[in-house]
Amino acid sequence: MADVTLRGIRKQYGNVTVVKDLDLEVKDGEFCVFVGPSGCGKSTLLRMIAGLEEITAGALSIGGQDMTRVGPSERGVAMVFQSYALYPHMSVAENIGFGLKMTGHPKAEVAARTDKAAKMLQLEPLLKRKPGQLSGGQRQRVAIGRAIVRDPEVFLFDEPLSNLDAALRVQMRAELSGLHQELKATMIYVTHDQVEAMTMADKIVVLSSGHIEQVGSPLELYHRPANLFVAGFIGSPKMNFLKVDVRVEGEAALVTLPGGSRLSLPTEGKPISDGEMTLGIRPEHTDLITGGDAQVQASVKLAEHLGSETIFFVTLADGSEITVKADGLATQKAGDVLALGLSAKACHLFDTDGRAVINGDLTR
Amino acid sequence: MIPAPAPSLALWKKHKGTLTPWLFLLPGLLMFAIYVLIPIVQSIWISFHEWDGLGDKAWIGLGNYIELLDDDTFYTSLKNNFLWLVLYLLAIPGGLAVALFLNQNVMGIRLYKSLFFFPFVISQVVVGLMFTWFYAPDFGLFSALIEKLTGQQIAILADERFVTYGIIVAGLWPQTAYCMILYLTGLNNINPEQVEAARMDGAKGLKLLWHVILPQLAPASFIALVVTVIGSLRSFDLVSIMTAGGPYGSSQILSYFMYEQALSEYGYRMGYGAAIAVVLFLIMMVFITLFIVRMLSQERNS
Repeated sequence: MADVTLRGIRKQYGNVTVVKDLDLEVKDGEFCVFVGPSGCGKSTLLRMIAGLEEITAGALSIGGQDMTRVGPSERGVAMVFQSYALYPHMSVAENIGFGLKMTGHPKAEVAARTDKAAKMLQLEPLLKRKPGQLSGGQRQRVAIGRAIVRDPEVFLFDEPLSNLDAALRVQMRAELSGLHQELKATMIYVTHDQVEAMTMADKIVVLSSGHIEQVGSPLELYHRPANLFVAGFIGSPKMNFLKVDVRVEGEAALVTLPGGSRLSLPTEGKPISDGEMTLGIRPEHTDLITGGDAQVQASVKLAEHLGSETIFFVTLADGSEITVKADGLATQKAGDVLALGLSAKACHLFDTDGRAVINGDLTR
Repeated sequence: MIPAPAPSLALWKKHKGTLTPWLFLLPGLLMFAIYVLIPIVQSIWISFHEWDGLGDKAWIGLGNYIELLDDDTFYTSLKNNFLWLVLYLLAIPGGLAVALFLNQNVMGIRLYKSLFFFPFVISQVVVGLMFTWFYAPDFGLFSALIEKLTGQQIAILADERFVTYGIIVAGLWPQTAYCMILYLTGLNNINPEQVEAARMDGAKGLKLLWHVILPQLAPASFIALVVTVIGSLRSFDLVSIMTAGGPYGSSQILSYFMYEQALSEYGYRMGYGAAIAVVLFLIMMVFITLFIVRMLSQERNS
């Protein structure tokens, strides 16, 4: 068992608090992704779990044991660094076996385990080379091999794919997911790329300025964002936000859309007060056809025809701009006027504090 | 009709590729020839003569070298040069230690680094003077310390047993600073994530230094070795300012011996001095050749 539990974890540099009293539980065997904009404290948090960064306050336990003040090599964790951090003067085999050598394993065992890790990652033909003679993807694999060979209970990844080109990134993403299936170890992965988070994670932790915005499965975050930050961060292109006026009548919140049309959202018994709010709807959930529960008029400012899909940047009656993702065969051009159909089931409503008061969940 | 280019221009066009590098090399080669190569040949030529620097040269063949083999001061100088060479190497681990110590982020670290680098910036003559006073009986700090510890005074620079060691220690001070700077630059180039990776791999303290840090400092170590070896062989200023080779020639080294024979009040034996210089040159060539061979083989491998 190697679940990772954080209780009231805090990190301070002088007067600056980078991670604010954070609670989190990562279950055994889970692939957990920390995602957030740069400077949100996700790397610091990972480094605190690794033991590279001291924990100012709070408690960290791995597999039920308190690890708050334990050295990095004794926590049963292994880390893959952004720069791979391979030792340039050692061959691939020496790089992989270095940790075992340092912890006093006999030579034969080091060699056997190095071979096993190399086989798993198809590194066998490269074992004698130096890191300088490897491609980016190969270096990445060596870095992973160095982690695997120690047979850790928890793997930590610090933006491991950010130095690879797009094609290789897609491939390594699949390889890492496969590796997780095979090893069934707990993995914690830091990235600023929400696509990586969505494709690999069992559980995503969205962080911003040192605290957790939301924890959940990828689709949970996509369909039921808890606040404006998560709604804007998850999904590409970004969710559209419209300033709207809301009036509650019985079981329905009546939203006045730009252009005057009305949309009725079910309140489901939640206490909502009248006033100005933010309506959120994803570009892929606005339909070009005149269907849905309400329509708005929009004029196309820019159209990007990507073949598989078409992205329209449109202006509404009140001047607000939104993005619409439509079929690749859509023929509208800049200057054309569209009618957009909005479905109540796809709309989210956020109060003035940015908290979601209504999540229109398409999965239900 | 296109006019045919002048023949000289055509020649230039034809050989432009081969001539251009030589044109660029020409100023450097000229300087090197005038100030290095020709003087070396001249020195070797002079070493076969008896010459006071003004009058006529008299050819005596290997006479100067034969005399050198019988000269006690020559052997003292050789022995001292060897001592310099070996003990001067302490500047390398010393510089590394200081660099490791200074390679951290605390308030005012730049000031500390500058202070440690300071002895390299000041003139060797000043270093020599400072250490002369440091060792001076009655008012020197070092003498006072020795007197406190042993109850008696030792005049380092007046004692045949200690004098060379005393001067070498003075020389180690700036040389350690030099090596420190080389290592600090090397340490700067080490990826901090690599050190962290090593920590995760369980490497700590000396193990970390030996397996991860030092191998990556190899280029810095090589340069430190080169400058220290050459520095030790060409040392002159400190001996000149601290003891002038004394007492009784016991702190003599080849470079100062040469100066004394050829250019000082002891006489103007240019031929003899040149012979000493040639010997020193040959010793240096051994090391320089080793360094260059290693450097070339490294370049070929990379």
